[in-house]
Amino acid sequence: MKRRTFLITGGVVGGGLLVGVGGLSYVNNRIKEYSGTDMGEGTSLNAFIRIAPDNIVTLAVSKTEMGQGVYTSIPMLIAEELEVEMDKIKVIHPQAEGPYTNFFMAHESPIDFENGLTMMQKVFAMVPNVLTGGSTAIRDSYDHMRIVGAAAREMLLSAAAKQWEVDPSELYADKGFIHNNQNGQWKSYGELAASAAAEKAPENPRLKDRKDHKIVGKPVDRLDVPPKVNGTAEFGLDVRPANLKFAAIRHSAYPSGKITGIKNESDVKAMAGVEAVIQIDEGVAVVAKSTWHAKNAATALSLEDQPNPELGSKDAISTLKEAIVGEPSKVWEDEGGIEDVLASASQTIEAEYEVPYLAHACMEPLNCTVLVDGERAEVWTGNQASTFVVNGVAEGTGISKSNIKTNITYLGGGFGRRAETDFVLKASKVAKQMPGTPIQLVFTREEDMKNDYYRPAVISNLKAGLSDREILGWKKKVATQGALAGLMGRNVPMMPMSAEDDPSSTEGMRELPYEMQAAYTDLTTVDLPVNVGTWRSVGHSQNAFFTESFMDECANKLGRDPFELRASLLKNAPRHLQVLNTVAKLSNWNSPLPAGKARGIAVHKSFGSFAAQVAEITVDGKNIKVDKVCCAIDCGKTVNPQIIESQMQSGIVYGLTAALFGEISVKDGKIVQNNFPNYKMVTMKTMPEIVVDIIDSDEYPGGVGEPGTPPIAPALTNAIFAATGERVRSLPLSKHGYKFV
Amino acid sequence: MTLKINGKEHQVDAEPGMPLLWVLRDILNMTGTKYGCGVAACGACSVHVDGVATRTCVLPVSAVEGKEIRTIEGLSNGNDLSAVQKAWIEHQVPQCGYCQSGMIMAAEALLNEIPEPTDADIDAKITNICRCGTYQRIKAAIKTAAKYKAGSAKMNEEPINA
Repeated sequence: MKRRTFLITGGVVGGGLLVGVGGLSYVNNRIKEYSGTDMGEGTSLNAFIRIAPDNIVTLAVSKTEMGQGVYTSIPMLIAEELEVEMDKIKVIHPQAEGPYTNFFMAHESPIDFENGLTMMQKVFAMVPNVLTGGSTAIRDSYDHMRIVGAAAREMLLSAAAKQWEVDPSELYADKGFIHNNQNGQWKSYGELAASAAAEKAPENPRLKDRKDHKIVGKPVDRLDVPPKVNGTAEFGLDVRPANLKFAAIRHSAYPSGKITGIKNESDVKAMAGVEAVIQIDEGVAVVAKSTWHAKNAATALSLEDQPNPELGSKDAISTLKEAIVGEPSKVWEDEGGIEDVLASASQTIEAEYEVPYLAHACMEPLNCTVLVDGERAEVWTGNQASTFVVNGVAEGTGISKSNIKTNITYLGGGFGRRAETDFVLKASKVAKQMPGTPIQLVFTREEDMKNDYYRPAVISNLKAGLSDREILGWKKKVATQGALAGLMGRNVPMMPMSAEDDPSSTEGMRELPYEMQAAYTDLTTVDLPVNVGTWRSVGHSQNAFFTESFMDECANKLGRDPFELRASLLKNAPRHLQVLNTVAKLSNWNSPLPAGKARGIAVHKSFGSFAAQVAEITVDGKNIKVDKVCCAIDCGKTVNPQIIESQMQSGIVYGLTAALFGEISVKDGKIVQNNFPNYKMVTMKTMPEIVVDIIDSDEYPGGVGEPGTPPIAPALTNAIFAATGERVRSLPLSKHGYKFV
Repeated sequence: MTLKINGKEHQVDAEPGMPLLWVLRDILNMTGTKYGCGVAACGACSVHVDGVATRTCVLPVSAVEGKEIRTIEGLSNGNDLSAVQKAWIEHQVPQCGYCQSGMIMAAEALLNEIPEPTDADIDAKITNICRCGTYQRIKAAIKTAAKYKAGSAKMNEEPINA
C-alpha cells in the first residue's frame, strides 16, 4: 500500500522536546503534544505505544471502556500492525491531549491520511476533543490505530537494522521481537525501544493486506473480562484515594427547578457520620464518613424547592401534540413534491406515534471523585469524554485545566449519559469547599433516575400517499426538544446548536432508502422543563419505531407482505437489502407459525451500519412472550465478531426494555420514577433468544454500540400486529395492558 | 464487631444498622461488591451468607455477625478461578461488567442449590439486572459451569455458544 501518510502519533514525552514525526509541516505542533501520563516504565514510540524493558506494551486507548469492548478492539488494531501478542498488552486511558482526539466526529468521516487533517479536524485536535460516543470508536480508529502500530513497528525495524548493520529488508517483526534472517538472532522490542524512539516516524508505514490479518477480524478474548469476573475491575465508585470522604447529593425535585433553602440543616449536620452539608447552585450535598451515612443524611434533608419559573410544569405529550399541528420549525427534507403526490394518490393513510421520556439507568449510579490540592486538582470518574471532565473540574474548582489530572476508570454503563459532566461539576464544587480531602460524590439510584438528561418524548405524524400496489410518498412530521442540542449546549458552549438545527431529531426519519416519488420531513421544536440528552442510538431510537411501524401499516393497507414490500423498495439500496434478506432467511420468514405465534420485521441504518431484525413472539391474550430475535448486521470490515455479536445482543435488550417497560413520566411537575421497581428492566425471565448473523464486507467499518437498538421496537410491535391486529402506536407496551412472560 | 469474610476475621467498627454492602465497600475497601439500587432490586450487591446469595444493600451488618460471608474477592484463590468464573471467561460474558460480581455470586449459589439447572430454574433464580443485556451468555455460562462442577466436561473444551 503506497500512500502519503500523515501521522498524528504525537511526539512530546514529559513536556520536553518536540520530536519530529512524519506528516505535514503546516499542522500545529500542539496537536502532537502528549504527556505519557500513567503509561508506566519504558519508552514511548508515539503517543499511543510505550514498550517496557520486559516487553510489556502499554497502549493509550483514547476511547473509554463502557462495555462496548474498545479496550480490546482498539488494542487489536494496534497489535495487528505492531506485531505483538494481545496478552503482552496493558491498556490505560490517556489525559485529554491532542493526539487522542476523536477526529471522526469533525465530519462523520475518518482522517484522510493522504491529504492530512482538515481545518475542523485541526481545531478538534487543539481543543482537544477526546470523546467516546456516537458509535465512533472503531470508525475513528480503524485506519489511524493500524497506522500508529505500523509506524512503531517500522521504527523498531530501523533501530534493529542499525544495530546489526544490515538492511531492514533482512529483518522481520513477530510477537514482540525483531528477527534477523541473516544471522538467526533476535532482539526484543523492549531491548530496542530506546533506540527506536530516536528513529524518524515513517511517512508511509506499510499496512498489511486484510487477508493477512492474524488478530483483526478474529473473535479475540476481551482484555477487560478477567478483572470483571474477579471483582478487581475499578469503576468510578471503587476508587479509594487516601482520606476519602463520601458525599451524596439532593437535587430539586422539579426538573430545571431550584433549591432555595434547607429547613433542617443543623439537624442533618448532627446526624451520625456527617461531616458537612454543602449547598451548591445545583443542589445540596452531604459529606460523611461513608456513602451510607451520606445517603441517609441527604435523604433526611428537608428542602425548600421551586420549579423553573419559565417552564413550570408544562406537560410534554400534550404540548408536543399541540405543537405538531402548527407551523414546523424547520423543513429537513422536501423531495418530489409531497403535497401533489398526496393529493393525486388513490388512497392515503395517516398515523400519529408517540414515545415517552426514557432514563439511561446505567448500572453504576453516576459518581465522581475529586481532590482539590492547592493549585492542582485530580479527578477519578467513569466518563465518555475526558475533555468535558477537565472542563467540569475547571469550572467547579476554578483550577486551570493544565493543573488537572484525570483518571478515567471503567464505566458501569454509559449509553450517552456519561457523555455529560453534571456529576463532575457538582463533585468539583463540593471538593472545592473541602480542599485537601478527596470527595466521592454519588447520585443515589433515586437521584440518578430523577436527574437524568432523558431521551426526549416525541410525537410523530406520518402520512402516506398510496396507489393500489405502491407507496408514492411519505410526509413525516416530528415534534420534540432536541437531544443533541441539549448535550452541545451544556458541554460545548462554543458550538451552540439550536433545537431546530439538531440533526438527531430527524435522523433515521429523513433520507430513507426506500424508493418513493416524494419524501418530506419537518421538525417542530418546543421548550419543556425536562432536560434531554443523548440516549443509546439517539434520534434513531424513536424514529425507527415510527418509520418501520408505518411501513408495516402501508404494507397492510396495500395487502402486501411486510418483508416483500420492503425488499421491493430497497432494490437500489444493496446493503439494506442484504441485511433484510439475511434476516428473513435466518428467521424462516416465509415458514408458517403455529396459532398464537407471529413475526415482525424491521430494517434500519444508523451510525454507518445496517441492521435488520425479526422478532418472533407468542401471544396469549394480553400475555406476550418474546421468544426469539434474529438480527443481521452489516458493519463493514469486522474487528472482533465476538464483540459485535455481544453489542447486537446488548442493543436489542436495551431497546426491548424501552419498548416493553420504559417510561419516565411527570406528575405535579416532578419525575415519578425513581428506581428499578417502577422503572422496570428486561431480566433473565423476559429475555428472548437472540441469534446474530454478521455480514462481513470490504466496506469501511460502521459502529456497533448503537445500531442494534433502533429496529427492535418496530419489529416487536409489527409482530404484535401480525398476531393480534392491534397496531401499537405508542410505547411502552406495558401501558397498553400487555404483560411479559 | 467481628465479621468472617472469605475465611478471614475482620474487626469492624460499624453501627449495627449499617448495611453489609457499605461495611464492605466503605470501611473494608472491598469494592468488588457493587451498589446498584439500594432497595434489593438489582442484585449488584449480592454476596453469600452461609452459602446463600444475599443482597447486602438492605442487610444490617448486625444480622451477619458470626456468619460465613463470601464475596467476589473470595471466590478465587489467586489465578485459580471458580468454575463459574472460568465459564464466564469462556463465554465472554461481561460488557460494562458492573453487575457481574453480583451475577456470579447469584450463579454460584444457584449451582450449589441446583447442580444441573434447567432454563426455567435459571429464569426463576437469576433475577439480577444487567443493563448491558448479557443474560443469554450468563445462561450459557451457568450451564457450562454446571458441567465443570460435575466434572463431565473439561475446562475450555466447550465451544463458545453465547
